[in-house]
Amino acid sequence: MLATLAQAVVNGLLIGGIYALVSIGVTLIFGVVKIVNFAQGEFLMIGMYLSFFLATRAGMDPLLSLVIVMPVMFLIGMAFQHVLIRRVLGLGDMPQIFLTFALSVLLMNVALLLFTANYRTVQTPYTDAAVHIGAVYISVAKLIAFVLAMVFSGALTLFLQSTDIGKAMRAAAQNRDVAMLMGINTDLVFAVAVGLALALAGAAGALLMPFYPVYPAVGQVFVLMAFVAVVLGTLGNVTGALIAGLMMGVAESLGIQFVGADSGLIVVFAMLLLTLAIRPSGLFGGRAR
Amino acid sequence: MRNSRKTFLAAAAGAATAAAGFGTPILGRAAEPVNIGGLYPVTGQLGQIGQGCVNAAKLAVQMVNDAGGIKSLGGAKLNLVLSDIQSDPTVTRTETDRLIGSNKLSAIHGCYASALTLIASEVAERAKVPLITGSSSDQLNAGGRKFTFTPFARASQFAQAQLQMSKLISDKPKVAVVYENTAFGTSTSSGLKEQAPGEGVDIVMFEPYSAGFTDAGPLVNKVRASGATMLFCVSYLNDLILIVRAMKQTGANLPINGGSGGFVIPDFYKNVGASAEGLLGVAHWNHDIDANAQRVNAVYQKQFGEFLFEYAGGLVAQTFMLANALERAASTDPEKVRNALATIDVSSGYAAMAPGGKVKFMDNGRNVYGHPVGVQWQHGDLVSVFPKSEARKPLLKA
Repeated sequence: MLATLAQAVVNGLLIGGIYALVSIGVTLIFGVVKIVNFAQGEFLMIGMYLSFFLATRAGMDPLLSLVIVMPVMFLIGMAFQHVLIRRVLGLGDMPQIFLTFALSVLLMNVALLLFTANYRTVQTPYTDAAVHIGAVYISVAKLIAFVLAMVFSGALTLFLQSTDIGKAMRAAAQNRDVAMLMGINTDLVFAVAVGLALALAGAAGALLMPFYPVYPAVGQVFVLMAFVAVVLGTLGNVTGALIAGLMMGVAESLGIQFVGADSGLIVVFAMLLLTLAIRPSGLFGGRAR
Repeated sequence: MRNSRKTFLAAAAGAATAAAGFGTPILGRAAEPVNIGGLYPVTGQLGQIGQGCVNAAKLAVQMVNDAGGIKSLGGAKLNLVLSDIQSDPTVTRTETDRLIGSNKLSAIHGCYASALTLIASEVAERAKVPLITGSSSDQLNAGGRKFTFTPFARASQFAQAQLQMSKLISDKPKVAVVYENTAFGTSTSSGLKEQAPGEGVDIVMFEPYSAGFTDAGPLVNKVRASGATMLFCVSYLNDLILIVRAMKQTGANLPINGGSGGFVIPDFYKNVGASAEGLLGVAHWNHDIDANAQRVNAVYQKQFGEFLFEYAGGLVAQTFMLANALERAASTDPEKVRNALATIDVSSGYAAMAPGGKVKFMDNGRNVYGHPVGVQWQHGDLVSVFPKSEARKPLLKA
């Protein structure tokens, strides 16, 4: 019983790391640019395909492909901000929602056209490997993904706290107009924020590739959980999204283990509604504006 | 006088031609081809499988034609008229209608997915054109259908075969059943549950899950805790890949039976890789069942680079069943072809290339001898291991 519980928590934490990585991206864009990016899941999908093709065509290990996938996604993110998001800022919610929503549908269907609906996987030496600690086993591929997810999240927090552009980003998040008056180039700051968010989605994709199949709709699977984590962890709060992402993974795993295998989402959403009823602005809503 | 006689002769010749059917050669002219409709989803979700079906259908027609065509129709060649039904029910209905309406078809085959075949069957019944199919839904034999023929095992037989196969592993099998919680999973798993007591199989875990999960770990954790000695998955490919991998990682060496469909196609092995070794499944056809199947498989493999999968292989046999019916009907008239098909009785040649080795239809279009074959992935190939009469290699035990 204890072993089963420990196993369920471990399983939950490991996949929670991926949820966290996706939701940090969403929350970063929301916090800084004040726009909800519904296409974040599709950027994860693009990251997975990039990693997949680097692995199958160039023989590059998915983990190594991070050094290509993340910068490429960063540039795509900057372009995404500059060419699309910038145009609809200040136009109200509807154009912004439909911009990212339309992009999500478009990207998914283009992927369907280019890559078909087939599931594609990459087999790495560590794909089926696991370490056993007592009765608990830990998948090596997922452990690596979890550790790197935590490293990237920590690096982002550090970046926001201690670099000039990170501080500028937080300033722009607090008040765009005042930040501009203080001489902050908000266009650049926003572009970097979206770039970083997409780099994280790309990282999540590459980290998933050793143990999860890629297909055009794969982003939808993860983005639902990511959005719950974003709301649960308070919109715009990076640390909140990280902790909430991990919590959701554990809640889902415990739900599957002890309630029923089709009840994982029930537990997750019950947790969300309960939290919102007690703390409407999320778990970390104290300082949120 | 002379004139009217000429007219009469011409009219008589015309009537004779019409009576004899379209394919009859007149005064040494080459026989007109026999049109066979093929309805497959070449684009959309099922696109890749549909393309495989089309490849096999073309190969089968070429085989019939190379062997001299339909002799009773003066060596008439088969002409395959294809239509892409795009994995879509609405398109299937309109395309079946269009295909029948704009071509003189003697018969149709299709459509891979049972949901699509059911629609095509409705249209074919109304138009009185025979439809022959490898789709497994028992509904295709219901509702007083007269023009629908199903030479292979029915869905209801698959569950039974799967349960019986678990006896290969142990005498008193303890089975965990996990199934995705929509129509496909619930209907298939309830068939397993109903028949389990009758087959002496103990189901120790019966668990629905939501398809498209992010992590199979928790589910596999549960299976391990159930004390099962075997796992049945009624799953889509994506989930199945995750379950198989998670099982490997836990070191739980439970034999897994993945059922049919996406599990028995070459793509499955390509995606899952070595983890697929030893996995069990059920199919309505397999490329090693007899010498003819192996022969066709060799040709197909050479041409398309992968083995002839279940549905495509069955399709080749179906084309020969149609040729057999056309031969006996000596007519391209769809109703006559239907009647000839209804009285088919073969036990040799490509037309009998089915598990059981015989084809003879009941009134509801079901093959008297049709039964599934149990298969296992061994060294990248899918081999028949069940029942004994069909087993080509011994079961690989984990």
